[in-house]
Amino acid sequence: MVIEIEDLCKAYKNVQAVDGLSFRVSEGELFAFLGVNGAGKSTTINIISGILPKDSGVVKVCGEDIETRAQSVKSKVGVVFQNSVLDKRLTVRDNLECRAALYGIYGKRYRQRLEEMDSLLGLSDILKRPLVKLSGGQRRRADIARALIHDPELLILDEPTTGLDPQTRQTVWRVIEQLRTKQGLTVFLTTHYMEEASVADHVIILHGGRKAAEGTPHELKTLYAKDTLRVYSHLDEIAAYLAERGYGISREKDCIDIQVKGTAEATGLIAARPELFDDYEVLKGDMDSVFLNVTDREITEE
Amino acid sequence: MTELRKFWALTLRNIKCYFKDKFLFFVSLITPMILLVLFATFLRTVYIDSFKGILGLFGMEAEERVINGLAGSWLFSSVMSVCSVTVAVCSNAVMIQDKIDGTVNDLRIAPVESATLSLSYFVGNFIVTLIVMLAALAVGFVYLAVVGWYITVTGVLLILADTLCCVLFGTLLAGVVESFISQQGALSAFSSLVSSLYGFICGAYMPLSQFSVGMRNVIGVLPGTYGVGIMRKHFMQGYVEELSRQGLSEEGVKAFMDGFDGNLYVGGRQIPTWAMYTILLGTCAVLLAAYIVIVVCQSRRRTHK
Repeated sequence: MVIEIEDLCKAYKNVQAVDGLSFRVSEGELFAFLGVNGAGKSTTINIISGILPKDSGVVKVCGEDIETRAQSVKSKVGVVFQNSVLDKRLTVRDNLECRAALYGIYGKRYRQRLEEMDSLLGLSDILKRPLVKLSGGQRRRADIARALIHDPELLILDEPTTGLDPQTRQTVWRVIEQLRTKQGLTVFLTTHYMEEASVADHVIILHGGRKAAEGTPHELKTLYAKDTLRVYSHLDEIAAYLAERGYGISREKDCIDIQVKGTAEATGLIAARPELFDDYEVLKGDMDSVFLNVTDREITEE
Repeated sequence: MTELRKFWALTLRNIKCYFKDKFLFFVSLITPMILLVLFATFLRTVYIDSFKGILGLFGMEAEERVINGLAGSWLFSSVMSVCSVTVAVCSNAVMIQDKIDGTVNDLRIAPVESATLSLSYFVGNFIVTLIVMLAALAVGFVYLAVVGWYITVTGVLLILADTLCCVLFGTLLAGVVESFISQQGALSAFSSLVSSLYGFICGAYMPLSQFSVGMRNVIGVLPGTYGVGIMRKHFMQGYVEELSRQGLSEEGVKAFMDGFDGNLYVGGRQIPTWAMYTILLGTCAVLLAAYIVIVVCQSRRRTHK
């Protein structure tokens, strides 16, 4: 296991940010850690990366306790923060050189690592430029290079693609995939883009500092996502037919969306009045639906 | 050895961050620039008239080179003593900016001891302040060489020693006070306050001898005053000795030194030079102890509940 967390608790004054959280992340896994803002994601990340002390519980990274073996754990973890935290007025090269030295990497070994980062992320055009003069995408490349400069075993990505254009997001994901497949890097991801979470091996949805749902994307979709039957013709008749059966509908300008539990339910509705359903599609529930349903359920329970 | 390399990498990074930030660099030089402008516009004339007035009381007329050099040495002793604090306060903004930007988290996720990080901020600030001070001193020496150089080799060495003491004091003061600042507003307020006020309270703009007795006693409690005291004494010493050689009586020399802070009086008593060093370095020792306590407490708070 790369991460083992048991009954983790952390409070800020009267706010319980993380409340009895337990989970595990296996080696080489892409782990998605989801939750609304304030759910406790950043607090958990800060504890794992050694910035923040925990109140109670056990946190082990690569088999080592984060409190008793902090320095060793830190050398195995790389973090890409939500906002770039490199020195804005220094060049990318200066930034990387300084950060590498903090991991005991300098001289020939540093130059070798820099070359590897360059071939992976294409840094040569930005190495001599100060961060303040880089575009958002270029800055992100520098952030990732900084997180990987010491060849970590665990890469924590805290909303790495927020605010990036689609092309840069694709580049970031290409690099992450390359690192996972070629080097077996374990990736711990937080994101608000559910399509990114849908390719994860394992997902946890956090709410109010507690685990609200856990599983593979497929398991979560099966449990929490609702399929949509979308029809494009006979809209008034279908609306009346569904109202009779007690269905809630969402009517758009040229279609009606009906939330159904699965394909079987959709088939049942269509089979009962086939003459109405001559232009329709069944849309599978996605991670957006999972996320909304899980967090809505938690809010309702509160 | 590895920790030492980490320390040096961090120190170098802190120094680079300061010098690459042109705004920060400019802000920290505001006080000396104000002093230079005031000197060029009217202070120089005021000083020279005052010098001539005192000399006149003792029936003496000195060479222009001595008088001009004396005015310059008074100015640069002010610049040096004020800058040691204002530059240190502004340069230490690198540490506060790291807290504000969250950059410090990027340093803390690395396997670096908390003490190494804190020490790198302190040493980085010390080196930056020393570089700026030595640059200012070089400019001062060149100016004095042009208008009139009467500082002995011993005087130069003593001024260098004073510079080191003042830089150490300024760096420690900034380190201790700014340890409690983590917001941009507080940083700006503190920097502005120090930049505008410190020059007055340490007698950089006008001699302390012209302050009221009560005010002088209050200022005498401030350790920074003794930094100004030693700097003034050693900058002016050579010039006053030259005046003595040119015929100024012992009484005249004393009046001169008293009038322009070459001699420092607190509670009606003259403070000897060794006492000024003792107070300044003693304060440095107290500030260092306070800094260590703060660093240890903050480190413990970060690693424990």
